[in-house]
Order: sequence, then C-alpha cells, then structure tokens
Amino acid sequence: MPGMVFASTQPAVPEGDTVLAERPQDAPVEMITWVTIVWDDPVNLMSYVTHVFMTYFGYSKGKANKLMLQVHNEGKSVVSSGTREAMETDVNALHAYGLWASLERAE
Amino acid sequence: MSRFKKSGSQILITLADYEEAVLESMVEQLIELLEGDGVRPATDDPFAQWEADMAEPNGLDTSDPVVARLFPPAYRDDPKADQEFRRFTETAQRRTRIEQANTVLSALMETNAGRDPVLVRRIEAEAWLKTIAAIRLSLSVRLGIETADDLEALEQLDDDEARSVLYGMYEWLGYLLEGLLETLH
Repeated sequence: MPGMVFASTQPAVPEGDTVLAERPQDAPVEMITWVTIVWDDPVNLMSYVTHVFMTYFGYSKGKANKLMLQVHNEGKSVVSSGTREAMETDVNALHAYGLWASLERAE
Repeated sequence: MSRFKKSGSQILITLADYEEAVLESMVEQLIELLEGDGVRPATDDPFAQWEADMAEPNGLDTSDPVVARLFPPAYRDDPKADQEFRRFTETAQRRTRIEQANTVLSALMETNAGRDPVLVRRIEAEAWLKTIAAIRLSLSVRLGIETADDLEALEQLDDDEARSVLYGMYEWLGYLLEGLLETLH
C-alpha cells in the first residue's frame, strides 16, 4: 500500500514457474525501485553529513565522505535505494538528523 | 585547552556560564516549537501508543518556515503522497525529537548553572548532534540563510546588529557540533 511506512506484511509470492503466465504485466509495487536523495543545503556541516551517512547507513568513512561531497558539489546525491517503504524509512531517519532528504522512483 | 574531553564512555564539554544559559534557552525554544499545539506524551502501553500515533494528530503548522525546514517534504512532486507520509510519521518524529531535546536539556541543567562541565554520555551523543543541528537549522531560517552567498553577507554585518548576535549563536552552535563530532570520531 503506497505511503504506508508501517505496513510490514509482504504479499504472498507464488512459488515455482506454473503461475508465471497469470502474473500481471506490470511489476508489483514491491519490484519498483525507489531512491533516497539528499539535497545540498548551506547549513548542515560537511563533517555532520558524513557522520550521518556513516552512523545511519553504516557506510565506510570513504563512501560516506564521497556521498557528502557529491551532495555538496552537485547539489544532490542518491544515498540509498530499495522498496518504497524502505526509502520512506530512510527519508524519515534523515529528516530526524535535519538533512534535506526526499524519495522518488528510480529513473 | 580543548573544551571537549573524552572520559571513558562520556564526553565532557566545558561551557562558560552564559553559553550554558543561552544553549539551555535555545533547547527550550526548540521543544516549544516541536510541541506546537500539543503532542501526546509517550506511553508505556504499546497499543495505546500505536493508537495515539494513528489518531489524527494536531499537525504542525508547516506555513511556519522553521517548521517547514525541520520537516521537509518527503515527496517533492507529490503533495498527496507527502501528506500521507506526514500523517504516518510526524507524531512519532516530533515525540522523538522532543525526547532528544529533553535529554540535552537535562544534561545542561545538571551543570550547576554552567559551573561544572556538561556531561554527554556516548549513547546520548546522537540526541545531542540532532538537537544542535535542529537549532542551527531553525536559526538559519530566521537568518535567511538559503545559499552560501547569504552566509558571506552575514559575515559582513556590524557587530551591534540584532542579526549579528543571532549569527554569532549560529556560528557557535556549528563550533559545538564540530567539536562533538571530532571527539566522537
């Protein structure tokens, strides 16, 4: 269900190949990839943004720093990807840190 | 001498008495802003908590630019999805931020009005960082900081301008945040 961050139950997925022909043409919602984007702002310190990427995502210092610099230099960076629910969780967590984050469908 | 000192699982911050007083007041103002028209206090009963979270919350006034900055849109091009997101996250988000700000406030109030160093437990470090970052963000809105150029303009202000005092606090909070981060890492 779109927008439901608390929805945790996954729909049953058929096993085996026999039902393949009956699958709808559109991919189920869960198969669509979403991304979390962090946008540049002149307020949050670079060291703080790196700290958030390391602490929340568990990224290495190198990866966190690279993403932070991408936000700083290019204005935004994709920091995570996955299901819509997972990205809503990430955005919510990043908002709690004061970062300017949003989610959208992956291109 | 550094004002930040690691001591076992704690960090000690030495603040001047006026710095402690200013920080305390800023944390209190943040709590007030987050409480808005009232957010229900946390309860030990998980079901009652879930019910409270699901109930129509007293939404924050996002026409206040400070609130808007602290709770930015999760969906930039989909107001309906954004509204839904807020409905499911805002109450818990506000409650957690208030709890974290209260953690900071308690530590500040145990400094004997700034005569003793502030004691930051390692497990409370994230609450400190988030609270200071939130206060800096709210000051930045009041200061009209939207681009790097705005910052440069603020540095040119005369010292006696009211905005200059606010900008001084903003800078000082940045120093505090940086110091905490350096001590943590």
